[in-house]
Amino acid sequence: MTYIPSADDLEVITREVWTSFLDGDPAGLLPGGSGADGDRVTGCVHLSGAYTGSIMLQCSGPAARDAAAALFSMQPTDVTQTEVVDAIGELANMVGGNVKSMLPGPSALSLPAVVHGQLAVPGAQVVREVQLTWRGEPLVVSLWQQAAAAA
Amino acid sequence: MRILVVDDSKAMRMIVVRTLHLAGYDEHEIVQAANGREAVEAISVAPPDLVLCDWNMPEMSGLELLTALRAAGWQVPFGFVTSEAAPQMREQALAAGAMCLIAKPFTPEDFQEALDPVLA
Repeated sequence: MTYIPSADDLEVITREVWTSFLDGDPAGLLPGGSGADGDRVTGCVHLSGAYTGSIMLQCSGPAARDAAAALFSMQPTDVTQTEVVDAIGELANMVGGNVKSMLPGPSALSLPAVVHGQLAVPGAQVVREVQLTWRGEPLVVSLWQQAAAAA
Repeated sequence: MRILVVDDSKAMRMIVVRTLHLAGYDEHEIVQAANGREAVEAISVAPPDLVLCDWNMPEMSGLELLTALRAAGWQVPFGFVTSEAAPQMREQALAAGAMCLIAKPFTPEDFQEALDPVLA
């Protein structure tokens, strides 16, 4: 039977990325949260091959700016949209690449895409999701699978 | 020594440079490129002693860069720094002539373990 990474797996991977490059503090990322509403940023990478789907990382605008500021070693007030897109794209790429390693292969990982708002993937459904809180702001990581393959 | 860091993410290039310094490799010259094609241009101008390269990039991927370098006779030590670290990726990297594959996220200790043979 094919193993699909669990919500706990998504949290562990996200925590490793955050601890390594954003906070250095494992307690900085808390389990639970309400999901990102309104002002939000979504980073996404697609998988195609033995597993076809997507890994999405969605957070609030303030969390995206804080993440970019941490990665670029600058003040959140100095962060531009270019840096937010770069940072959220790279974070989605890192989380997605590590999730891919747990999925059946071979599959190809796309370059990341970043949108301001919510991203919908036609024909795909969420198979795993974890809601987290970082610096008081929501962060949601989800694994999607194409509906045809998910049946 | 000159180290060429290749990644399409500027944030990741900064993190790699920061980690090189934290790993103790702060006496080396570090140059950067945003994809494989830019890396080819940089290498033709000033050949590096080590290439640290992302795998998945626009224009020219890391694997395409490594293949092009080896086909042209360049034997510069080449390490991948990538979010994809499944065993088959490592095998593919080594088969193409890479010296190592460092998985993202990484630590200064990961860099030392992989790069000391070249930089220490």
